[in-house]
Amino acid sequence: MSERIIGTRIESHDKGSDIAISVSHLSKSFRLPTERSWGLKQAIFNRLRGIKGYRDQQVLSDISFDIKKGEFVGIVGRNGSGKSTLLKILAGVYYPSSGQVVVNGNLIPFIELGVGFNMELTGRENVYLNGAMLGFSNSEITAMYDDIVKFAELEDFMDQKLKNYSSGMQVRLAFSIAIRAKGDILILDEVLAVGDAAFQKKCNDYFASLHGKQTVILVTHSMENVLQFCDRAIMLEQGKIAVSGTPEEVTKAYTKLFEQ
Amino acid sequence: MKIPQFWNKRNRVLLQELTKTDFKLRYQGSALGYLWALLRPLLLFAILYIVFAQLLRFGNDIPHYPVYLLLGTVLWSFFTECTNQGIQAIITRGDLIRKISFPKYIITVSATLTAVINVCINLVVVVIFALINGVTPSWSWLLVPLLLLELYLFALGIALLLGSINVKYRDISSIWEVFLQALFYAVPIIYPVSMVASTSMLAARVLLLNPIAQVIQDARWSLITDTSVTNLSLNGPWGQVFAILLALSVFIIGALIFRRKSRFFAEEI
Repeated sequence: MSERIIGTRIESHDKGSDIAISVSHLSKSFRLPTERSWGLKQAIFNRLRGIKGYRDQQVLSDISFDIKKGEFVGIVGRNGSGKSTLLKILAGVYYPSSGQVVVNGNLIPFIELGVGFNMELTGRENVYLNGAMLGFSNSEITAMYDDIVKFAELEDFMDQKLKNYSSGMQVRLAFSIAIRAKGDILILDEVLAVGDAAFQKKCNDYFASLHGKQTVILVTHSMENVLQFCDRAIMLEQGKIAVSGTPEEVTKAYTKLFEQ
Repeated sequence: MKIPQFWNKRNRVLLQELTKTDFKLRYQGSALGYLWALLRPLLLFAILYIVFAQLLRFGNDIPHYPVYLLLGTVLWSFFTECTNQGIQAIITRGDLIRKISFPKYIITVSATLTAVINVCINLVVVVIFALINGVTPSWSWLLVPLLLLELYLFALGIALLLGSINVKYRDISSIWEVFLQALFYAVPIIYPVSMVASTSMLAARVLLLNPIAQVIQDARWSLITDTSVTNLSLNGPWGQVFAILLALSVFIIGALIFRRKSRFFAEEI
């Protein structure tokens, strides 16, 4: 099997630079299996018959952009346009196939809320576990703990097991960790609207207050959110940057996409 | 992977939290809880002792045979738990790997650390048994941690190697479980090495080149009785070097292959 060409992802902590994320000529392709069965037997057959057994699916091609510190950037596009893949590459979950990604600062990824939450652990234990996964030390989490619990409005439930939480409570806890975690760059994948109307309002107020203070990259389908929060937006179409500009420009282009 | 990144604070905290969670959850909801970690090798020992020592009269010529047998089963249980848990670990934590970026080896290592904690507690039981049985403490007991380290590195190497292949080819973990059942009889746990040596000296010598057999026999030699037949006594110093180097190379090769493959775990899992 041929060695795959790999791009680079660099993490730096350059306080002097005003760039938070720099992406240049980023491409990503996935290997998708072409055979029905995907196991050892098939792998041996394929090798004997000289078949690759997979095809390359290009998901992102030649993407370049910079995000400055303190910018709130929205990423929009249809399903399958490559938004989530881009986010996962920024977060370091996937390796780029080619090109370079430079992340300057501590990046907090929320590709999904409550990743690694364990139902058998208490709310408190989950906060610490989740914090460790996001790269915080125990003392750092202790410092943020009260703030997280207060925002989630779960003061009385932290010593209960997570399986006894309602789904709304679980999401609130996960969301509070996401936004109260003190990271330099926050990455969110369509997780803005959680909880009841009161909690949603609180979240919206919070996002509005982040303006200019925190670097946020938000993947969303809600043009309302783009207009309300973002300084700038990027629209992806078939793995390429179709439009990059003000929230108004991008919203217009996005709406047009679905008019034909 | 640069050296400072390899063992920085972030990775250490994560390793600690994951191990703690694994440990806490492993026996949750069971009435005996953590006692199961002790009971499993003890029950295996009880069965083997009744069948082989009492019914089949194995090990009559070995002093302190029950402790001898217990130590063998404890170390064997450690090896199987380490490899089985380690090979499965990446798949079990697939949801994490798909969503968060962190060094993947932490998952495998944390899964095997539970086995390490278990074996340490089990060894305390072995020592208590040995003292009750009238084994006199000696300086050679201090060798046991080194032997344990060798066995752990060997098991971790296998877990890293097979665990990284298991992501794509899930047959691996099943094949390994069957293979372990066969391997059990190729390691002198229930039968004494002298029994094999009396039929074929060559077979006994080959048997002891296996790092698991070498560690078990060395541990028995240092902890229980210096009449134990060891790799060193049968194969000489080069035989001993071979077994130790084999364990270390499996660890290094496993770690290197794991590192190369781990970049694509998120896509392939």
